[in-house]
Amino acid sequence: MARTLVFRVDYAHPPAAVWDALTTREALTAWLMENDFEPRVGHRFSFRSKPMPGWSGIVDCEVLELDAPRRMVWRWRSDWIDTTVTFTLAATATGTRLELVHDGFEGLRGHFVSWMMRGWNRLLRVRLAARIAEDDTTNGSVR
Amino acid sequence: MSRVTRADDAVFRAISDPTRRRILDALAESEQAVGELVALFDVSQPAVSQHLRVLADAGLVQARRDGRRRLYRLRGRRLRAVHDWSAHYARFWDERLHALGRHLDARAERES
Repeated sequence: MARTLVFRVDYAHPPAAVWDALTTREALTAWLMENDFEPRVGHRFSFRSKPMPGWSGIVDCEVLELDAPRRMVWRWRSDWIDTTVTFTLAATATGTRLELVHDGFEGLRGHFVSWMMRGWNRLLRVRLAARIAEDDTTNGSVR
Repeated sequence: MSRVTRADDAVFRAISDPTRRRILDALAESEQAVGELVALFDVSQPAVSQHLRVLADAGLVQARRDGRRRLYRLRGRRLRAVHDWSAHYARFWDERLHALGRHLDARAERES
């Protein structure tokens, strides 16, 4: 039931530059969130963002693997999820391909993410959309 | 990154159970009586009724009388919040990785 989110992005910059942006505190603050990251295995750090209803705004992390400039793995815990995030860099003709794998969505929310994104796709697109429209009409309000 | 209210928490709890998810799937297809759900799944009637109570408490299903039968239907509105949450989560990295691209571009420009 665990759900994995995979992203692949090509950047027109060499792996060293991308690695630097992934492993320095200032750069991580610029593109991700405020943090107290240090590039060493076993270092525990947090990302802090503005809290929102239902989310503390805090992500507790730990550096699990570090293999410059190729691969880095973080434990990524936030409220009700305990997951891992893996960054893998590969040099390409034009720069760097970054693969980000966010893995281990288990438990309630994990079940939900998994469920929503697999078997429920058809249901969501067709039936649920219709039901929401119907509910909104009958209840006379739109969320 | 994610917005989940306390009420949504009840929804997440409700859908954490595989039988309840199957019940929701069935109700998404059409309205069903308890007996029909019992026939669909290998679960006792009291168990199905219990699951339906949890789903109703979370606001995910609604019952109506049809003569002697109680018919249950899915309430899509309550699921939308959690669907939005999960879509939001998938979008999070997409947005952040674009921000990383902008950061790299800006830095390269400064250094050139």
